[in-house]
Amino acid sequence: MMHKQRQRQAVNALIFLGPACIFLLVLLVAPIIVDLVVAFTDMAQTVRVSEFSNEQFRKIIRPNEDTWLGFELRGSFYRALAKTAIFVVFTLTIFNVTFGLLLALTTTALPDWLGGTFRAIWLLPRMSPSVVYALLWIWVIDPTERGLLNQVLINVFGFGPINLFIDHPMAIIVVANGFIGASIGMLILTSAIRSIPQHLFFAARADGAGPLSIVRHIILPTLRWPLSYITVFQSLALMVSFEYIFLIMGPARSTMTMAMLAYTKTLAPQIGSGQYAYGAAITLILIIIGVIVALLLYRLTNMKRLLAKPRIEVH
Amino acid sequence: MASIELRHVSKHWGPTIAVDRMNLTLEDGEFVAILGPSGCGKSTTLFLLAGIYAPTEGDICFEGARINDVEPRDRNVGIVFQSYALYPNMTVLKNLLFPLRFKNTSNEDAHARAMEIAELVQIEDLLEREPSQLSGGQQQRVALARALIKKPNLLLLDEPLSNLDATLRLTMRSEIKRIQRELAVTTILVTHDQVEATTMADRIICMKDGQIEQVDTAENLYRRPDRIFVASFVGSPPINLVQGRIDKTMLVAGQRRLPVSGNTVSTNVTIGLRPELISTGEQGLPASIVNIEPMGREILYAAQSEIGLLRFLEATPQPRLALEEHVHLKADPGDVLFFDTGSGQRIEGVRLDAFS
Ligand SMILES: Nc1ncnc2c1ncn2[C@@H]1O[C@H](COP(=O)(O)OP(=O)(O)O)[C@@H](O)[C@H]1O
Ligand SMILES: [Mg+2]
Repeated sequence: MMHKQRQRQAVNALIFLGPACIFLLVLLVAPIIVDLVVAFTDMAQTVRVSEFSNEQFRKIIRPNEDTWLGFELRGSFYRALAKTAIFVVFTLTIFNVTFGLLLALTTTALPDWLGGTFRAIWLLPRMSPSVVYALLWIWVIDPTERGLLNQVLINVFGFGPINLFIDHPMAIIVVANGFIGASIGMLILTSAIRSIPQHLFFAARADGAGPLSIVRHIILPTLRWPLSYITVFQSLALMVSFEYIFLIMGPARSTMTMAMLAYTKTLAPQIGSGQYAYGAAITLILIIIGVIVALLLYRLTNMKRLLAKPRIEVH
Repeated sequence: MASIELRHVSKHWGPTIAVDRMNLTLEDGEFVAILGPSGCGKSTTLFLLAGIYAPTEGDICFEGARINDVEPRDRNVGIVFQSYALYPNMTVLKNLLFPLRFKNTSNEDAHARAMEIAELVQIEDLLEREPSQLSGGQQQRVALARALIKKPNLLLLDEPLSNLDATLRLTMRSEIKRIQRELAVTTILVTHDQVEATTMADRIICMKDGQIEQVDTAENLYRRPDRIFVASFVGSPPINLVQGRIDKTMLVAGQRRLPVSGNTVSTNVTIGLRPELISTGEQGLPASIVNIEPMGREILYAAQSEIGLLRFLEATPQPRLALEEHVHLKADPGDVLFFDTGSGQRIEGVRLDAFS
């Protein structure tokens, strides 16, 4: 009897957890292992491995006794790292968090139908195919007089045309990704604001709080967790994101983040691709940085308070 | 002078009429209860007074001045919500201090005031706790303290006891009464529990479907209900209501005709008779017992008579009567209330001459 029951439990566990485990293995663990192996080979265009070595990492890191760590990053990789940092930090702080928060606050303060309409508009870029969205941006920032931005600058403000591709390439990818990231932040934060009991707002108003005090004392403390979630999750997502960068900027050096570097060196249909082992090495470093960043952010955002202390019943 | 006044106040939510042309006057320092079933517009009335909702029509006046457009913060109203609505991310002390933030109170004054109020509602030991670490009764006290700390002109309590267990409810009932008397603050208690209303308030506002049915003392609501609804809502077990018709000088109810006198008008009536005013005896209205419900101290019997089903209470702990036993029901004919079935209004000046 006992035996049978235990057997059934095991079968149930397999049924419920099996698909998720297989998913995890095939889509996550296996690629990482493949990446790890390939990173230490010389696999290139021919997809043949002739030797195992740390040759790829020597393209990234150069030993240098004079520096503090005993090595230094090679130029192209160093630039990619810096660009990734700029891209992630600015997109995340300005758009995903700040802009998302502003959108959530304003659209929840508006009457339902109006707020809903605004949110729907902000979700459009998210819902349209990425190619369409990228083409739209390319048209907006087109450096000739045809570009929407330049038309506005010339016709409305009387300025000359500007070429953002050359002058502010990083700004382009930050804003383009930001518009999409902001809508995710907006959705998560909106639902968090919506989940605050109505009576708390009533109580705050009766206690004398104005709109700003309500935001500061009632809403923001509640958004702590959603905000940490957005920060952790979106910084990881942005770190490996290259879709819109590639679609808008192509393999331009000015916006060559790490994810873009790994992509152009391996799979991009452009010159310089096919260096699989090199790409794998970059990806491996990206994975390690990702893990470190995730752990750091987890610590910083401090999950302790999420686990509420036990209730004490005293009458 | 009247301290608080509602003049013809309504609140509509689309097609729903939550409060319907309400007129009400409260004296300074008075403790009134709004009593009514769930969904009758009690909370909405409170929120209108607090300024959280704006009335669809009508005027709300404090001290004779119209305050329809005055923001909640400028009304100086303390409110305790049914859910208590304590700020979850603040300690008890911070919760108490919150209303004073917006009042230009100095830090020392605010803390002194918090200590004072904490002592009044007996939560001195809880000041550093967070709301999630408090029991229901403690949360209730904190909510009350937070409502009182700014010395409100009007205290609004929205079903403050409904989330407490039975013994705690008893304690808090007398606590709230004590605190109200000590501070002499005009207080409105909202409740769907008649015992709460009758034990705590000086006057009771009985509400139904957004309208006031009767404003009176507990005793008058019980003895002289103006309307069928009040009669049926106040009193436990509920009043017996029997449909009938006045035909000249006779009440026709079921298969029975009973003599009536006074200014009788031929019309459809509902007669009301409280179960606790019926007893059994040698003579009276013949009936047979159809149901027996022991209630501990008393027994609630249901008996089928010729005028209809009547419930009555006997104060014996053991059933004295058996099912299907034939009995005679006795009652003072003067205790029988007459209501106009159509309008629901009580008919005064009509008397039953004999109950048999
Ligand atoms: N914010 C609101 N929006 C729409 N309808 C509401 C709202 N608040 C209350 N109502 C409706 O108004 C009526 C009275 O509600 P309420 O005052 O909460 O009743 P009570 O407190 O007596 O239970 C109910 O029918 C309720 O559904
Ligand atoms: Mg209510």
